Amino acid sequence: MSNFIFPSWTNNLKELLGALGAGGGLYATVLIWVGFSPQATDVGYQPHQPIAYSHALHAGELGIDCRYCHNTVESTTHAAVPPTATCINCHDKIQTTSDKLAPLRDAHAKQLPVAWQRVHDLPDYVYFNHSRHVNSGVSCVSCHGRVDQMEEVKQVEPLSMGWCLDCHRDPAPNIRPKDQVTNLAWKPSGDARAEGEKLVKEYGLKPSTDCSTCHR
Amino acid sequence: MTAPPIEKPIESQTNGNHAVTETKKYYRSFEHLENEDAVIAIIKREFPDVDADKLSPVSRRRFVQLLGASAALASATGCRWETEHIVDTNERAENRTPGVPQYFSSAMELAGVALPLQLTTFDGRPVKVEGNPRFAATGGATTAWAQASLLSFYDPERSKKVKHRANGGVEELDFAKFVTATGPTWTALRANQGAGLRVLSEASSSDALIAAKNRLLKTYPKALWHEFESISDDESREGTKLAFGGAYRPNYQLAAADVVLCLDCDLLGDHPNSVANARSFAKRRNPDAAMNRLYVVEASFSTTGAAADHRLPLRASLMGAFLNGLEEALGIPGAAGASAMTGANKVGFFIKALADDLKGAKGRCLIAIGARQPAAVQARVHRLNELLENVGKTVSYVKEQLPDRASHVEEIRALTSAMEKGQVDTLVILGGNPVYTAPSDLNFSAALAKVKQKVHLGLYDDETAQLCDWHLPAAHYLESWNDSRTWDGTHVLAQPTILPLYQGTSAVELIATLAGHEVTTGYDLVRSAFDTRYGNDELNWRRCLRDGIVPNSAWPIETPRVKGDLPPMPPAGDVGDDLDNGKLEIDFVACSKVYDGRFANNGWLQEAPDFMTRMTWDNVALIAPATADRLKVTTEQMVTLRVGDRSLDCAVYVMPGQAQSSVTIWLGYGRTAAGSVGGSVATGVAPVGFDSYKLRSTNGMWFTTGLSVQPKSETYQLSMVQEHHMIDTVGMEGREERIEMLIHEADLRQYKTNPESIHGAEHGPPLISLFDRPEKYETGHKWGLSVDLSTCTGCNACVIACQAENNVPVVGKERVWRSREMHWLRIDRYFSGDVNDPSVSSQPIMCQQCENAPCEEVCPVGATMHSKEGLNDMVYNRCVGTRYCSNNCPYKVRRFNFFNYQLKMKDSENEILKMMFNPEVTVRARGVMEKCTYCVHRIKAVTQKAKNQNRAVVDGEIVTACEQACPSQSIVFGDLNDATSRVTKRHADKRTYAMLEFLNVLPRTQYMARISNKNPALVAAAPAHAGGH
Repeated sequence: MSNFIFPSWTNNLKELLGALGAGGGLYATVLIWVGFSPQATDVGYQPHQPIAYSHALHAGELGIDCRYCHNTVESTTHAAVPPTATCINCHDKIQTTSDKLAPLRDAHAKQLPVAWQRVHDLPDYVYFNHSRHVNSGVSCVSCHGRVDQMEEVKQVEPLSMGWCLDCHRDPAPNIRPKDQVTNLAWKPSGDARAEGEKLVKEYGLKPSTDCSTCHR
Repeated sequence: MTAPPIEKPIESQTNGNHAVTETKKYYRSFEHLENEDAVIAIIKREFPDVDADKLSPVSRRRFVQLLGASAALASATGCRWETEHIVDTNERAENRTPGVPQYFSSAMELAGVALPLQLTTFDGRPVKVEGNPRFAATGGATTAWAQASLLSFYDPERSKKVKHRANGGVEELDFAKFVTATGPTWTALRANQGAGLRVLSEASSSDALIAAKNRLLKTYPKALWHEFESISDDESREGTKLAFGGAYRPNYQLAAADVVLCLDCDLLGDHPNSVANARSFAKRRNPDAAMNRLYVVEASFSTTGAAADHRLPLRASLMGAFLNGLEEALGIPGAAGASAMTGANKVGFFIKALADDLKGAKGRCLIAIGARQPAAVQARVHRLNELLENVGKTVSYVKEQLPDRASHVEEIRALTSAMEKGQVDTLVILGGNPVYTAPSDLNFSAALAKVKQKVHLGLYDDETAQLCDWHLPAAHYLESWNDSRTWDGTHVLAQPTILPLYQGTSAVELIATLAGHEVTTGYDLVRSAFDTRYGNDELNWRRCLRDGIVPNSAWPIETPRVKGDLPPMPPAGDVGDDLDNGKLEIDFVACSKVYDGRFANNGWLQEAPDFMTRMTWDNVALIAPATADRLKVTTEQMVTLRVGDRSLDCAVYVMPGQAQSSVTIWLGYGRTAAGSVGGSVATGVAPVGFDSYKLRSTNGMWFTTGLSVQPKSETYQLSMVQEHHMIDTVGMEGREERIEMLIHEADLRQYKTNPESIHGAEHGPPLISLFDRPEKYETGHKWGLSVDLSTCTGCNACVIACQAENNVPVVGKERVWRSREMHWLRIDRYFSGDVNDPSVSSQPIMCQQCENAPCEEVCPVGATMHSKEGLNDMVYNRCVGTRYCSNNCPYKVRRFNFFNYQLKMKDSENEILKMMFNPEVTVRARGVMEKCTYCVHRIKAVTQKAKNQNRAVVDGEIVTACEQACPSQSIVFGDLNDATSRVTKRHADKRTYAMLEFLNVLPRTQYMARISNKNPALVAAAPAHAGGH
């Protein structure tokens, strides 16, 4: 029995494996770096809601203020999702037979809430306070995007810690007059940064970057 | 083993203008003195681990119930696609905002005495218990029991179904089925006017229950109602009957007393009015105002004894003789048999100095007598208070609510003997656990077997429930309507914060149902009792319900006069220190944690270290060092205690300051059907501790002589935390100086003469930091905390409050033994002086929030960082668990999650515990370091609200959980940049010092030195070495 001799093409395997190892490592790094970033994993998240509620229609076309439904946003940490009764305020007069609203009427008849899907989901170790932002002139649009143009709400910003800190370190671009906070279409009349900086001074804003501001 | 001599007798005599600094030797335990090398070895290790083989197999096997905090949501953390729903309500209730806590007034009744409370609920779930700030006497403070009641409420092992035990089987039903199934019984009973029906109730001060009881007795006129508490104020009631001819309850005005003598009385500890007592006592402990002086005479160290200026260890059976001696020294005629207690010995000196002090403070002194002492001794104290002109000034009386009922012992005796004779056909047990707590000589369980139909209402399927035909789950106070009375008789209302978790029924609802009353809901019953007393006024009802208190409803204060001659004192017997083995005294005391055993399944309380012994998860026989020496027993050794024909095997703890020849044991342990925390034979969980009720009989409910102690060869592992997280870094060498750096204390005279001297001769080199300190904290908030060691009593309320507030887990006995307890706030306790009669110093220690925090410098991942407000922030989600920070912490306040203590919450049967978590605080996972944050979530809640409202934070608006719970207002939190804040004033006080100041870590938590007010006569007269017996 003759000895087994590796064919000559295997001589190239070493280089090939080396190249694969180096390239693969780089590939994996880039894949994880980019692929697992909140920008990739979270932005664009758009779950289907139990009722096909259109923000574009209600907030955009009809011009209902954000605070009609999310009425606790100015005073508490949560921008509460409305109870069923808030929807029924109008919908016992409007579209009372619409099939799309059947789950709503059903829930109301059974005295039940509607189980909306959470879109903007921060980790449980993050304590975000809506009221502090809204009362400082940070618009809904800064974090949630043009919800008034969304048929179905989706996440448009990464909501990552780095993204939060960008603004906490330099709030000026995101500060607008407090009375324009829920006006998602608002645009600064002049230089955005100069206007923002003026308001930061006027409102006495010193956004904290302390850990305990959000984590505790 | 001999008692070591004190290094130097206390010689704190002012010498001209120079105060001679006391040289005290401090120690943590008897072992600390005896075995220094071993303790040094423990100190040298950061997390002292131990040889697992040394653990008893039982404790190793014991499944530890991890009752703390966490959520299934926590597991979803970071996992993007685990869907979460946002579910509001159909219609949002008035005043309800999602995610914003609501507060409700309520009250917790313990043995018939209410503590007014304010309950915090989050989205309909009660998550925290606080005191009701509207009740002036307690001012919003609480006890450890009230704090921990939250865990009992959510205990997944509370009984959930009606259980019918018949023919050897157990059937689970609901309440309606119970009513139908037992219907014929009640019909038959009604026909024979209730002959053979007995009710055994826990003590209660509820109007509604009294009304229901009266209705029941109207329906069944021949039925009898008994009331029993194993920890009862029987003797106190009987004492007032002897003295005044009627049942009264003494109410002490400690704030008005210059000299206080507590005879076997734990006014600040297990007294039903302890919160109010501690509050008014603390008002007189400010050395810059008129300070009171506290004398305590007791057998075993209590929190009151630890707070005393002078404490005399004395067996409980000698209190009468002591009182005789005191009466003689006060020159009161009729004192007899006193000679044994007066003379040129330690007790004699004590009595003489005390008598002089009392005489000099007529009308401004107070003698308080504990409920453990016999009625005859109690009566003498009432007379003495009258002769000292204290009545109406420092002590007043209110009439007992049910003056005519027999004593609890007589009630249970009468009931047991009726059961024994077969006179009881139907027994309804309303709460309580008499099979476990009844005096052992009555043989309650044997008598119970002769009762045809037994119905038990209780929170747990406990020892009593298992011997009854029917067990009904009781409603916890957090889920039911009730009314009750505080110690001074103030009428308080308790309202539910949630629907009953397990379809529980309250006592008043059950009795109304059995009485055949048409109204059986708790609300209607409590409301109708309220209306009967105060009239049907909706507005008044709503106001009282909101406040939790009916204004001006305290019972009228009376000043009864002592009538005629008092009966003689019980014979004192041998007054010597060294009684023969076989004639020793045994003392039963209520446990500072599980009370009479009812909180045995509460992990928070089981794991809270007892203030004096620093013991968790056990009870022991406390024996004085000299006596232990004589009996040849030592800590952790098993012994057989024998009184008459009753015996108990139990572990020993050698307790400095225990009266000689006296053995004290806490009640409430050795439960066999408490649950998987407290012990359950049925599920193979060994009981926690030793059942001391087995030694307790009707002729010695509190103490008795004739005890023999037989040493056994076995030892028993105790989990004591006193040698954990010790601050000394280099062991015992130079210990005196080091502990003096931790605890600063002095006598009032030294403080007055030279206030600076109380901080010792600590003049090191100038404090220079290696690091730049860019932040000076001159603007914005600068949080700080002050702890006044003069008023801290070591009651543990802050420890449990912190645990409840911050989702701190329970780790179990074995892991406590491994020094892995998780408490963010601990109370260090040091002894000093003669080991048989030491002084005690205590010090609550939480994160000191150092400005130059050593922990921050060593964290490799920036998981602990400094905030601009000077807080040492801990970022759990960044922590990788190197534990460097803890190693570098000079105060040893950091705790590491060695396991995922909250993992068990995922089991469906434990899921209910998730509702208990404070949603404002992250639940920590395995491998994460954690520590006190000054309740940063509370700080944020207030500062963010204030910013929204464009206003400044008001001092006192932010209250940490420990501060809120503290009965003696020892803890104060606030902004050091606010010149008018309480904490700024306290930090500027002469007494304030920073612990280990020479380290230059600049702690934000600072302590106020403990000042005691010693009697100069006693300091001078005391024999140099009192322990020489």
